[in-house]
Amino acid sequence: MIEHEHFRRYAFLSVLLFVIPALIAVQLIRVRLDPNMAKDFRIIGPLFETEQHLVTPARGQILDRWGNLLAGNRTVYEVSVELKQVKNPQTIALTLKTVLGEDYDEILARASGLKSEGLLNVVLVDNVSQTDIDDLKFVQEQMQAAYGNNNAEGAPSLSGLRFTPHLGRIYPEKTLASNLLGFVGRDSRGYFGIEERYNDLLAGKPKMILVSRDPNRVRENPSVPDGASLVLTLDRAVQQKMEEVIDAAIIETGSSSGTLLVMDPRNGEILALATTPRLDLNEFWQYSDLFSEEAPYNRGISQAYEPGSVFKVLTMASALDDGAVKPETVFVDTGAIEVGGVTIYNWNSGAWGPQDMLGCMQHSLNVCLAWVATQIGANDFYRYLQNFGIGHATGVDMAGEASGRLKIPGDTDWFAADLGTNAFGQGVAATPLQMGTAISAIANHGKMMAPHIVRSVVSEGYQHDIEQRVLGMPVSAETADTLSNLLARSLETESSDALVTGYRVAGKTGTAEIPTPFGYTTNQTNASFVGWGPVDDPRFLVYVWLEKPATSPWGSIVAAPVFRRAVEELVVLINLPPDDVRRQLNGN
Amino acid sequence: MDRLEHLTQSYSQAPWRKQLQIIGVFLLVLVFVALISGIYLNVSARAAKAGRAIQDMQSDIEALGLDIEDRQSELAMILSSRSMEERAIAMDFEVVETDEIVYLTVPGYTERQSVILAPISERVIVKAPVMPPEYTESLFTWIKRQAGQFALFRISEVRP
Repeated sequence: MIEHEHFRRYAFLSVLLFVIPALIAVQLIRVRLDPNMAKDFRIIGPLFETEQHLVTPARGQILDRWGNLLAGNRTVYEVSVELKQVKNPQTIALTLKTVLGEDYDEILARASGLKSEGLLNVVLVDNVSQTDIDDLKFVQEQMQAAYGNNNAEGAPSLSGLRFTPHLGRIYPEKTLASNLLGFVGRDSRGYFGIEERYNDLLAGKPKMILVSRDPNRVRENPSVPDGASLVLTLDRAVQQKMEEVIDAAIIETGSSSGTLLVMDPRNGEILALATTPRLDLNEFWQYSDLFSEEAPYNRGISQAYEPGSVFKVLTMASALDDGAVKPETVFVDTGAIEVGGVTIYNWNSGAWGPQDMLGCMQHSLNVCLAWVATQIGANDFYRYLQNFGIGHATGVDMAGEASGRLKIPGDTDWFAADLGTNAFGQGVAATPLQMGTAISAIANHGKMMAPHIVRSVVSEGYQHDIEQRVLGMPVSAETADTLSNLLARSLETESSDALVTGYRVAGKTGTAEIPTPFGYTTNQTNASFVGWGPVDDPRFLVYVWLEKPATSPWGSIVAAPVFRRAVEELVVLINLPPDDVRRQLNGN
Repeated sequence: MDRLEHLTQSYSQAPWRKQLQIIGVFLLVLVFVALISGIYLNVSARAAKAGRAIQDMQSDIEALGLDIEDRQSELAMILSSRSMEERAIAMDFEVVETDEIVYLTVPGYTERQSVILAPISERVIVKAPVMPPEYTESLFTWIKRQAGQFALFRISEVRP
């Protein structure tokens, strides 16, 4: 009987040991033979072996030319709730309202009302600072100590609240160069300026990766490279000083806005671009309060305006290069000239008599320059202007550049009279950067360099320098040098407020009436000044634009002194000795 | 017949001896399997421990990455132009005037160079074409891009 019992047990065990492997074998064959089942298992399998992680690379830094950090990253937190763990959503909503100032009802709805939708985790707030998180953790600890053991329905509890750290943007210089940098919004996307233009490069490529739970396969975990960092051509010290200069000028002249551009004409590098208003980039949500609908984020590149007499530099350069006039050519100014059926007058409605080209530029004679344009001829005049890049965006590496407006013969809205008015910068619109770039060709011996703000890209362990590009050679070196000297003499002869002690500079003032739907304004102007130096070896070009100055409408009175003050600060910051010292040092 | 039986009995092994042999072989196999398993287990355990240590270190790297970024930003705040200016004023530094500057030739002095954050690549990045996209893209692409930008900006960004 006992033997029989043993036999039964052995038989059962044997069958079991046979059946289980047999079933496994059958299942293996089934899986092998059924392609759909195999496919399903191939999908399901890794889900148990691995977990999905969205890796967002650290956004690249933005630094000035000397390595000062302009845009970096800091730890911010995502505050979320694990719905299964939430005991009292009212407490969570009340705490977030008190500590973070969030909307009670919205938080309450998120923290309590979505369990039915099968959600496990809900994000309540993002980009919360470390200080706020410390406060929240303190409240959480206090509440745990006070009510931790109280399991009664409705007892205060922050159970389920989670804090997940990640990187968010920070701008250590706050408002400095804000119009150039742009900002990163709540959606981690760059808006305006460099942040928008280089968004893809800075942000890197967020990647969903499968991280193996098996420690033996840790080497298989992919790494995601960080976003590239950018080294700018910008000089932080120069930018700060130029912002101070233009801010002071706006207050002093009662202007509605001001823009000050500093470029190196030899290579197109933008050393500073100060404009108003400026936003504290760490509080980018103030954007809509600070910028009204018509105010562009960066006037230097986004606002085209009629520049007025600074445009005469381009007209005179075209005429000299074309051979239409020579510096010694004499024009007898009778105080009026008719071009295309429209009579053009000088700024003071006066007649200046015989004037050579130096006199025409020095006294900024509209009549003379309109005559000069007619001597060039419409086709050649506009060909030159197009070669100077007027009417086209410069391609500067910042988002939001405007292209300006240049009407040319053949356009439906071009009239013969435009030849005369365009000659002195009315009826044509350009941004300060376009004007600066075009006139930098005169400073740089005829060669017009592409303006740019990014000097190098640091990516995956290497620094890649960005190629400097020549946009064109709109006039010959001889023409450019002749005009530079002519404009330097012009400033010296009139004892301009733009003159800088120790440095020979060339330049031109501009005062433009402002077009409105009802014609040009008579009492409001755009006052400008463009200048560069030292004339024999140009290292800087400074463009000043004051919008609607109240103290005086004239560029020579309000904008020229701003140029002088800017250059006086600039030469110290860029270590540029006065001309005689420089020549002496070079001679050694 | 008895003799044959006696002979068979003489040359056949006792049952206990047979069992002992089987047990011996079984134990030998068992010891061998245990030895192999032990070695395998030891290696796997060490590998898993090392893997776990790597996972911990990777986690530390992530935490340190955040910490480094925080410290860099903190340093930049301390060294920001406004802070430096305030400190300079507090320490009674004076702004140098142009006519107070003396320029000297210092043999061997090289001009201040732009920052180099990494080895310079041989490859020079050629910038995007001078022509902005508006001049090269199709009308449809332009409208799509503008609409996308406008919608994104309006929806997600401009809010107090």
